[in-house]
Amino acid sequence: MQERVAIVGSGLGGFVAYATLRHGGLAPAEIAVFGDDPDPAGAWRPRAEAIRQRLMRSESDGHCYPTSFPGLAAREAGRRRDLAPLLLSVCDRYRPTVAAFLGHVDELRERSRWDESFRHARIARVTAVEGGFDLHGLGVFRHVVIAPGHPGLAMPADLEGDPRAVHAYQPHRYARRVAVVGAGMAAATEWLNALEAGSEVVSVRRREPARRPLNVDRTLFSKRGLAGFHTTPSSERAALLRELSEPSYPPGRAWDEPLERAARECRFRVEAESNGADQVICATGFRRGYEHDPLLLQLVAEHELETAERWIVLAPDAAVPALTDASRTLSLAGVPAQWAYPAADTLVGMKYVARRFLRRVVRCPTP
Amino acid sequence: MSYTLRGRLESRLAPALLPLAAALVLAPLLHVWWPIELVGLMVGVGVLLDVTVYHRRLPYQPGWLALPLGLLELGVTMGLALLLGLNAPLTPALILFGAGWLLAQVLGHALLPFLRLTYAEDGGELGRAGMALSTLAAAAVLVVGGTAWTIRPPTIHLAAGVHQGPLVLDRPQRLVGEPGAVVRGGIIVTSDDVHVRDLTIFGGEHGIEVRDSESVVLERVRIGGATLDGISARRSSVRISDCRIDSPRTAGAQGIDISFALAVPPSKVERCRVTGGAEGIVSHLATVLIRDNDVSGTSLRGIAVTEMSMGEVDENRVRDAVGVAIFCGDYSHCMITDNAVSGTMPDPSGNPTRNGFGILSYFGSVATIGGNDTNVAAFINGRFEPR
Repeated sequence: MQERVAIVGSGLGGFVAYATLRHGGLAPAEIAVFGDDPDPAGAWRPRAEAIRQRLMRSESDGHCYPTSFPGLAAREAGRRRDLAPLLLSVCDRYRPTVAAFLGHVDELRERSRWDESFRHARIARVTAVEGGFDLHGLGVFRHVVIAPGHPGLAMPADLEGDPRAVHAYQPHRYARRVAVVGAGMAAATEWLNALEAGSEVVSVRRREPARRPLNVDRTLFSKRGLAGFHTTPSSERAALLRELSEPSYPPGRAWDEPLERAARECRFRVEAESNGADQVICATGFRRGYEHDPLLLQLVAEHELETAERWIVLAPDAAVPALTDASRTLSLAGVPAQWAYPAADTLVGMKYVARRFLRRVVRCPTP
Repeated sequence: MSYTLRGRLESRLAPALLPLAAALVLAPLLHVWWPIELVGLMVGVGVLLDVTVYHRRLPYQPGWLALPLGLLELGVTMGLALLLGLNAPLTPALILFGAGWLLAQVLGHALLPFLRLTYAEDGGELGRAGMALSTLAAAAVLVVGGTAWTIRPPTIHLAAGVHQGPLVLDRPQRLVGEPGAVVRGGIIVTSDDVHVRDLTIFGGEHGIEVRDSESVVLERVRIGGATLDGISARRSSVRISDCRIDSPRTAGAQGIDISFALAVPPSKVERCRVTGGAEGIVSHLATVLIRDNDVSGTSLRGIAVTEMSMGEVDENRVRDAVGVAIFCGDYSHCMITDNAVSGTMPDPSGNPTRNGFGILSYFGSVATIGGNDTNVAAFINGRFEPR
């Protein structure tokens, strides 16, 4: 059987696309996955370990299965013969453990026969050719989804080279006096981690963090909000995406109480600078924009793709309009797909892209 | 989930096809229209709320909200059913509504997201199939509900004042009394699907006489001054509720008599107050449910299930009966539970089978009993079994 679909990137975005394509009826022999780590959670796992993440932030759809139901909540309820996970799920309060999530990735990896399609190769160039896309000499594929992941960790320029500085997503212990730069979910997690480790914590931030359950408004997860989003002019859409990417973490006593207690004990305070800290943890997320990803940068330059600020302009289904037609598809998944789906960097967003990519693949059978 | 308006409507209408199909099966089986009317009302209320309230007020609808919204829809639907006089019995109506709601939840939260990958992202829209299913459901509800509505029996209102009887109801209809409406000389029912409500009937041989009719509903009727039975039903299936009957204590006068009705659906008597009569409520050769009634001052028996009847006598209060309060006789099978019996007196005749018994099983009858706070007795192969 001829491979006709390629997934560039073997992280969770690529894995979700693979599971969806398999669910849609494609055999492993029809799909090639290119990446440098056969473990789909290979990039995500050390980051979660670094910030000591125990629970997933996402809700019940935070899994890699191709269908929304049954998700982790329903499966846990069935396994434990306990309705509690389902009840928590309908209240948007179900948060599976990281261990449970990783277990599910391993299980799905085996069941979907991911390893049969995996090819150890980093794709540095994707070129549109007659009948599809050439992947850096490794073959021509009619349908390609690029799921490159985040283009590296973001470190504040003034802390580059500072021996005290470590990124939150890099392995680290906690010193006696810790400054945490940032105000998002990773920063909030690190405040609590460091306090729990007995450190004195200084939160270094330029603005008060937003408190919201999810980064993106819930209506933007479905057609209801997306219909308006997709018709928004480029400049407004870019502004909205910038706003949505502002750091935030969920409201709730689980976050506030430890901080208030630590503040009363003079172990937690907010400052504008990190002076005097033994260790500076940069919870500053990832680099943003296609320019930081060599593959995407090449793609834009070589094919003169339309861009808006740091985003590649995409169709509502995350396909690259200039390179997609009835006979071939080039889609982006993960964070570069935010132009089509603001929450594209979440598992739900990855599924959004994967399902639409599948639709295009199915409509365009191999000649 | 964040529904689009189309998604809400499709997710509402497509699952409605199954309850509608169930109603279409139930209605001819039970010879009643209410299942179809109720499903139509359910869907109509849901669609109206979807369009006017939910879509505007709920840009995002968490899963748990389905329960309070379901209760709201239940309240509105049942309220409208009462207001429109749908004649739907409460418990079956609640079961039908609950089953329809549950089915919609299972479909919306499990089956549709399982079958349709983009269900949630599409805001509940079901694509081309959804459009077709919704159109079919909407059309079916409109056509069937409309038909049910247009051919439903006419409603006749009796104005306040005295109307000379006997009134003969020989075709399906609803006879509703305005406050102060009195029929003198009785009512005779000889047709199926007759509903008599809110009337006072005075005089006549029988207050209401029902013959060879099914799906007859007698609701909130007051009967007095009849020389024989307050309500006499023969070869008929009746549902009597919230009635008030004063009967003479003469021989042959019963408060409510349901007889020769084993071949028709069961009858039901509930929440009635029967005073006097030889027997307060009696069945001969019939299947009956007698529940939550007050019967007092009878001269022969308070409640009697007799002559090969099958009956449930449940949670009634029988006071001051002469001879026997609750009687299961002549090869009948009775379930007699949780009744309160008081003041039963021995019959002055000295008949040993009428010695002031709370419950009597007589002549080959089997009475299953439990929760009755009274004395019991059995004669001539009558027997008791515990609940």
